[in-house]
Amino acid sequence: MMAANPIVVVDQVSKTFRQAHGRGEHRALDKVSLSIEPGQVLVIIGPSGSGKSTLLRTLNALESFDSGRIIIDGVSLSDKKTDLNRLRAEIGMVFQHFNLFQHKTALDNVVLPQVVVRKRSREEAVARARDLLAKVGIADRASHYPSQLSGGQQQRVAIARALAMDPKIMLFDEATSALDPEMVGGILDLMRKLADDGMTMAVVTHEMGFAREVADRIVFMDEGRIVEEGEPGSFFASPSHERTRAFLDQIL
Amino acid sequence: MLERYWSITSSLLPFLWKGFLETLYVSLVAIVAGSLIGAVIGLVRSQRVPVLTGLFGLYIHVLRGTPFLVQLYVFYFVLPNTGVSWLSWDSRTAAFVALSVYTSSYVAEIVKGAIEAVPRGQSEAATALGMNRLQRLWYVVIPQALKLTVPPMSGVYVMIIKSTAILSVVGISELTRQGEVSILRFPRDVLFIYGLIAFIYFLYCYPVLRFARWAERRVGAARIVDLD
Repeated sequence: MMAANPIVVVDQVSKTFRQAHGRGEHRALDKVSLSIEPGQVLVIIGPSGSGKSTLLRTLNALESFDSGRIIIDGVSLSDKKTDLNRLRAEIGMVFQHFNLFQHKTALDNVVLPQVVVRKRSREEAVARARDLLAKVGIADRASHYPSQLSGGQQQRVAIARALAMDPKIMLFDEATSALDPEMVGGILDLMRKLADDGMTMAVVTHEMGFAREVADRIVFMDEGRIVEEGEPGSFFASPSHERTRAFLDQIL
Repeated sequence: MLERYWSITSSLLPFLWKGFLETLYVSLVAIVAGSLIGAVIGLVRSQRVPVLTGLFGLYIHVLRGTPFLVQLYVFYFVLPNTGVSWLSWDSRTAAFVALSVYTSSYVAEIVKGAIEAVPRGQSEAATALGMNRLQRLWYVVIPQALKLTVPPMSGVYVMIIKSTAILSVVGISELTRQGEVSILRFPRDVLFIYGLIAFIYFLYCYPVLRFARWAERRVGAARIVDLD
């Protein structure tokens, strides 16, 4: 936990979205800096449009950035020599809308990337997939297609799919926001278990209970900037910034 | 009266059969060749490859924005007279190439539309898992796009089958042309002979449409890609 070498370093990263036809621009990230150490859980909160999802998506280069540096496990994202696809295989991502491959069964969703990206044999990939599906609690749905699964079940498969790549870091982009309320708890429990197992995680969420209990550190973003950060205890008990207070008042 | 029609029919049938075989042949060639060319063009256009995307865009808009008859004349009269040796083809080749090229323009737009209709999240998830562009297309996007092409593609195929009738004007002995020749033999029975020909076209097109309906239900594809 106290390792000196952070696995994620974000240094003065800025990004501007230019709207089509030159109708103004939007500063999505404004000189954002942070770091995550191995085994740490970083929770990013903030109002919608604050840039928290954009920040998360720059970590695996789904979004580009204009200036600054991002270094993942010693590799710079902006280095032209970096093989981004290879790097992404080391970073698991869980999406708000699950994004399971619609033409594949739950099992094949977990098998496909192992075979294609990790070059595992099919038998090996299937064995690993069954193992993970059991671990996330849906072994009995292995042969179902995504359209035959509930949101909560799909998100479990999505987590298994990401874990099958043996990632060094997991990113969660509002993983419970699209779920029916009764499904949220199960997914959060799964994420908590992952954190307890020592997975390095960056989590964008509106679940303050989860943030308080699981996060090692909390970052509050507004208008593309990190307004405040700290350990959950002090962060929730005595936020020092006015905007943080206003935000917490609204949602707690 | 019925007897007369029966005798006309039986005397023309071998002749019309030959015409039908030519219609079948040219339509299959155009469908196969046009689909292959169109799939490549549509794929390239969906990927926004610089230069090529614009060039193929022009190709598609010119072909879809002009009458097939005019295109046929270009392939039949103009290109062979440009002095370029490999373009000095015979009338049959000109007709086959013209129809294939015409088909490809429709197929290309369907393929591009289908690829773009696969939700962005699908290829985004594949990206996040470390797949490169080709792997994303091959394993994730194309299999899902293929389903979406079934309904509009069958519409295009039927349209192409019917368009082969136009090839009669450059002397291809397909079904319509054979019918027109038959009318010279039985000038009083124009209506009957055209009716007979229409019926033969129907016998060819209807199973294609039925097959499309069946395939559509089979893959559960929604009609989301418009023909025009």
